[in-house]
Amino acid sequence: MCVLACLALSGLAGGQAGVSPGLPKPADWVPARWPWSDAASLDLLAGGPINCLLVRPATAEFAAAAANRGLATLAIVVPGDDAPAAARRALAAKVTGIALEGDFSEAVAAEVRQSAGSAPVVELAPRSRMMANSAAAILATYQGVWPGLAVLEHVRAGPTGSAWIDTNTGFLRGVRASSDAPLWIANQPPARTVVTARRYLEAIADAGMSGARWVLALDQDFAARLARRDAQAVADWGRMLALAGYFERHPEWRGMLEYGKLALVQDPAKGGLLSGGILDMIAVKQTPVRPIPRQRLTPGALKDASLAVNLDADALTPEELAVLRDFTRSGGTLLTGPPGWKDQSPSGNAITLDQRELERLNDIWREVNSMVGRRNLGVRLFNAASMLSNFLISTDGRTAVLHLVNYSDYPVENVSVHFLGGYKRAALLAPGGVEKPLELYQTEDGWGADIDKVTVCASVRLEQ
Amino acid sequence: MTRMTRREWIAAISAAPLLKGANAAPVAPVAINQCASYEEDVTAKLGVLFDRLGGLGSLVRGKTVTVKLNMTGSPAQRLQGLAPALTHYVHPKVVGGVAYHLGQAGARRIRFVESAWATAGPLEETMLDSGWNVRALQSAAAGVEFENTNALGKSKRYARFKVPGSAYMYPAYDLNRAFEDTDVFVSLAKLKNHATCGVTLSLKNCFGSLPASIYGDDAGVDEPNENPASGRGTVGHEGRRQPSKSAPQELRFGANRDPGYRVPRIVADLSAARPIHLAIVEGVESMAGGEGPWVQGVRTVKPGVLIAGLNPVCTDAVATAVMGYNPRAVRGTAPFQTCDNTMLLAEGRGAGAADLSRIDVRGVPIARALYRYDS
Repeated sequence: MCVLACLALSGLAGGQAGVSPGLPKPADWVPARWPWSDAASLDLLAGGPINCLLVRPATAEFAAAAANRGLATLAIVVPGDDAPAAARRALAAKVTGIALEGDFSEAVAAEVRQSAGSAPVVELAPRSRMMANSAAAILATYQGVWPGLAVLEHVRAGPTGSAWIDTNTGFLRGVRASSDAPLWIANQPPARTVVTARRYLEAIADAGMSGARWVLALDQDFAARLARRDAQAVADWGRMLALAGYFERHPEWRGMLEYGKLALVQDPAKGGLLSGGILDMIAVKQTPVRPIPRQRLTPGALKDASLAVNLDADALTPEELAVLRDFTRSGGTLLTGPPGWKDQSPSGNAITLDQRELERLNDIWREVNSMVGRRNLGVRLFNAASMLSNFLISTDGRTAVLHLVNYSDYPVENVSVHFLGGYKRAALLAPGGVEKPLELYQTEDGWGADIDKVTVCASVRLEQ
Repeated sequence: MTRMTRREWIAAISAAPLLKGANAAPVAPVAINQCASYEEDVTAKLGVLFDRLGGLGSLVRGKTVTVKLNMTGSPAQRLQGLAPALTHYVHPKVVGGVAYHLGQAGARRIRFVESAWATAGPLEETMLDSGWNVRALQSAAAGVEFENTNALGKSKRYARFKVPGSAYMYPAYDLNRAFEDTDVFVSLAKLKNHATCGVTLSLKNCFGSLPASIYGDDAGVDEPNENPASGRGTVGHEGRRQPSKSAPQELRFGANRDPGYRVPRIVADLSAARPIHLAIVEGVESMAGGEGPWVQGVRTVKPGVLIAGLNPVCTDAVATAVMGYNPRAVRGTAPFQTCDNTMLLAEGRGAGAADLSRIDVRGVPIARALYRYDS
């Protein structure tokens, strides 16, 4: 019965079932946690992309006001609530659906779904459980790291190294590689911390460049300032909407494939659900890598790859191992995890690798780093230490997009990008509708382009 | 404490006691020009500077010129997110301007070198990682090349540079061949303090000539490690290990592990082993309090000066005075609170005089160029 209910809801994916005709379909929802329940607050959304509000409590007046403006509302139900009853009450107030946020048992979740009938239920689940309902209309979790440059403790002063960037991109890209459902990450700003507008922009871009949506959430101070229309808060809010809108104006990016001549084979239900893992380690070195869920490991998935990392060899089926064997026989280089290595799964509230696992992963990381060296595996970035990137390619291979997100508090100037492949045109896109052609010049192994400045986010579009 | 006036300052540093031998050390003119920002015509300002030295033609025409840049530390390390060239690296506009003037003066080949931090990869990549436009540098003059001297690079063997006379630390140094295959050697430095040496100018810049493959923390024990991935703390600064056995070993290993003793002496040795023909110190924008963002308490400064000379000790003495210090100050006195004075040690090696009273300063006077780093 539960399975049938899930499957029924899964029919919502991309569809309109249970959603009023005047509202956007769930796949197009651009979500935000909405801290206000007065209709006037909806004026803040004018001209922006946000069209789905997560509210608690949900009132009939607010739901009606939102619906009148073409906005979907999801009533947040959390552990401690009588979840099915709370869902029924919210739906009686005519909200569009339910956001079931927290670590609910499958039985309770099923009960809520049943109570909701045809209304959508978005499960903001722990990472460890989010893949359980892989047929869901929207995959979502409330767990995420707060993106930004990490302040490393106990680092000896010296002229060393790269910055570490806290990011959800590795996790998001891993999940996206294993599911076609829209993906939300609904982590909230850290408590008792001054959150600058810049950090909000980084959170939006961190998810956006990975093909996901951050469920926009404001800290209390910002929300209070915005509520009283403080000029700076309004300006910052405008920048946040503009950045969210930037990714929404390019739905084609979500249909593109992750590209890199380096492939990482990983179980999305295990290590792929953790942040700070091997995918993030590779990303911080600006190496393009395509995550391949082992369940989707086919010769096609490895097309054009020259290097592959298989983290947890023992987890692969004989068929999957055969794909990797053929890859090496055709000239590919394969790096496997050390004997006995088991990809760690998330547990409890932990969503990052523990210190012991991190040290073990470092061994693999060193080998990957040595294997990659200075090779151009699709794209090489220079002067991008405070940035992360994601390199995507269209299914016909004719268009590529390189997303760049800057996590420092300062703009990065004079970024150079070297691409493999024969591209004829390049353009720089940035929030605010900026689009300008980039001069392409020949490099040792392909083409290069120089970018004057990246404030928070920019993208390079390449065409053959 | 009452602050000295500029006039008193010049008088004081000129009257400072001379070390034995200072009178015998060679001197050469030093030129100063002001350049308030990188938005000004830096190339033109450099042209005036070189003209004040009599031009570069007689020095470089038809010759191979190797220019040691200052790009200390990882390009990823930034002070307040600023480009390294605005704080602790020489600025690419200055580098391009120098290339232009060397080219105009008839240099046949201009090779920019630096032992890039923790890598043996092409220097061009470190430049790109620093936000430099390598293509613009290449087009600044004909025959521009780049070499990362942190390992063998494009050569098949290292060149050995013997320290003439009695060396302070090592009898000789093994360096990348670029330092040998050149007619003219230029040190292009930044006007900065240094945590270990008090100041880092054209002399100290050449400490970065040492390849980490041999003098690095992860240098091979017997042979060079051609993939160095670390700095030079344990060999040069701390003397906790010897360089690769393929290179000449430290003379009195274990005798003194004080970086403030060791590094100035290594630099003085290098100044004699690989003489500098043209010293350029770039102080348009820089940092004070240390040589890089990893030093606690550093801050950005805008001295707005360019300094050049045909003798590195003289040039550094003038640059030190421009920073508001006495170039003849001894250990325990700013900026040499915890180290020996590299210029005096180099002077003792006969590399040049650090005595301002003997140096012909041309262009902008020191008093007008003065920018106190300790203020």
